[in-house]
Amino acid sequence: MKRMKIIVATLSLVLFTCGLVMAQTAKIGVLIPKSGPGGLFGPSSQNAATLAAEQINVRGGLAGQKIELLFGDVGVPPAEAVQTAMGLWKGMGVKALIGMHDSAVREALIGRFAGQVPYIYTPVYEGGECSTSVFVVGETPDQQLKPVLPWISKKEKVSKWYLIGNDYNWPRDTNKAAKGYIAAAGGSVVGEEYLPFTVNEFDTSLQRIKSSGADAVLITLVGGASVNFNRAFASFGMAKQAIRLGTLIEENTLAGIGKGNSKRLYSSAAYFASLQTPSAKKLIAAYTKRFGNEAAVLNTLGQSTYDGLLLLEALAKKAGSLDAKALEKAAEGVSFSGPRGTATMRGKHVAQSIYVADGSSGTFEVIKSFDNVSPGNNCK
Amino acid sequence: MENALLLGLNTVWQIATLGFVALGLAIVFGLLRIMNMAHGEFVMIGAYAPVITTQLGLSPWMQIPVCILSIGVIAFLCERLFIRHFYDRIFDSLLATWGLSLLLRELVELTFGRSFQSVISPLPGTVLFLGISYPLYRLVVLAGLLIFFTVLTIWYRQSLTATRIKAMVANPVLAQAAGIKTARLSANVFVVGCIVSGLSGLMLAQLIRVEPFISLDYLLRCFFVLVLGGLGSLEGLGIGSVGIGGVQTIVGTISSQTGGYLTILLVSIFFLWLRPRGIYSKN
Repeated sequence: MKRMKIIVATLSLVLFTCGLVMAQTAKIGVLIPKSGPGGLFGPSSQNAATLAAEQINVRGGLAGQKIELLFGDVGVPPAEAVQTAMGLWKGMGVKALIGMHDSAVREALIGRFAGQVPYIYTPVYEGGECSTSVFVVGETPDQQLKPVLPWISKKEKVSKWYLIGNDYNWPRDTNKAAKGYIAAAGGSVVGEEYLPFTVNEFDTSLQRIKSSGADAVLITLVGGASVNFNRAFASFGMAKQAIRLGTLIEENTLAGIGKGNSKRLYSSAAYFASLQTPSAKKLIAAYTKRFGNEAAVLNTLGQSTYDGLLLLEALAKKAGSLDAKALEKAAEGVSFSGPRGTATMRGKHVAQSIYVADGSSGTFEVIKSFDNVSPGNNCK
Repeated sequence: MENALLLGLNTVWQIATLGFVALGLAIVFGLLRIMNMAHGEFVMIGAYAPVITTQLGLSPWMQIPVCILSIGVIAFLCERLFIRHFYDRIFDSLLATWGLSLLLRELVELTFGRSFQSVISPLPGTVLFLGISYPLYRLVVLAGLLIFFTVLTIWYRQSLTATRIKAMVANPVLAQAAGIKTARLSANVFVVGCIVSGLSGLMLAQLIRVEPFISLDYLLRCFFVLVLGGLGSLEGLGIGSVGIGGVQTIVGTISSQTGGYLTILLVSIFFLWLRPRGIYSKN
């Protein structure tokens, strides 16, 4: 009987301690691709989120609670990704989710979350997300193109644009926005082409670009297709004829394109690893210190989970909790500063800085920045 | 005129490179009847040869020996451990080599990581050829492939080894009874087939991205070539490459790339359905 009492006492003590620890930590789910084609961005996304959580915890955590990150692999078909996310939410009890994945997965997730759990979507995407308790930090086509197209047209004296992308909604929506800005800048669209993901040969597209007389190419091909296209483009000496502007050419893609193949290649994004602002340099220093020199290189996709957590911190601070409804109410106008500059919530997205980088030397050099660029109207 | 010439050169390029990439599969599948789903992986590992060479600090000229040696060792081990158990078991060989393809891809990913490797072209720039500017590297490769296929055709018609291989393919039991060491010959043919696949990867590495998943880009089209042309002969390989490479480039240029890809899918389905032995088949 006495022994029983001791056991009960020990057990309750253990449970009590667990309860205390539980009360002090906020579990946050981070959904990133660790497998599949997006798996390339898994390591940098995971590192960036880990670093952000550690830094926020030093500052006092989210609404007084320390962050405990739980990662889920969503580099899988949407139905399986939903299983992973539901496991984190319902099974592990995460209070909020950060997502760095494609739009198909996002749409599947939103259907199941139904505004019940805060969800921050972080990568570059096509815009138009306006669901309850969903917050976006990634670049929209409006942001990447509206200030950039007129500026680059003038700088490079180009006016005849050829639009080439993979055949799905992000390239199509980006080009829809691009056409308006090209026309506004006095230019014209001389060709538009969408390629299935199975196409890896670009000879015929290059021939079309050549005969169209285009002096600028807007690239919305993704990943490997972008690398193959740009290498082929360079091998035909087309850089003399036209500049290239990409809205998803990040550090890995540029490395694949390779030195010597990237003359007059520009990229527009909210983050580059070579950004020379004090806050961006601070991130790189902390990142290298934490993960070493060999760590996955940062890029606008991988780094976005860092900003996702900064946004969550700012939202939680204003709302005083992590409750989905409270965050929804507090969101508009919330502002935070990070490696990308200052960002302010406008219509569930962030007005933020956009940078144009020149990839000619084989690494990005940021040559122009636009501050406080509006995300456009995403709630139609 | 200039456009037609460019289209012509592009078509010849597509056909020649597709023929070379499919040759390794034609050897392993066409002669040994191993339905090699890991064909793309050997192409992919060959494309890593420049990366390996750079990491070892060797001169770029060592890329070819490095490619032959690395693929040769891997292919030899695969043959000894897996493949030799699957001669005459065509459907089992499909599953076995599919497993092998996953294994090889994972090994490459573990060794080199997921990121795109940067391979610097040895012959950058374009030259004027027949009045149009065309990439120098492509012209050099085209000349090389022309010589290679000519020599290969002569060798395959006239050499003793080729005759032994043909005897083994036609009737393994009789060939063995006639004193041909079929087990050893099969092993050699498999290793050579894989090395050829690897060399085609090395040839492409200067032009495409290099990462573990490129293997999937080439597997399907190579099978289409053999479906169309037929197994077991150089003529079949030639016809298949001209058909698949030519149709995709020409339809792709006239209509759209989607149209080009759709057409080769339809052609392949049509042949599998109505003429499963392909256009040129010895039996």
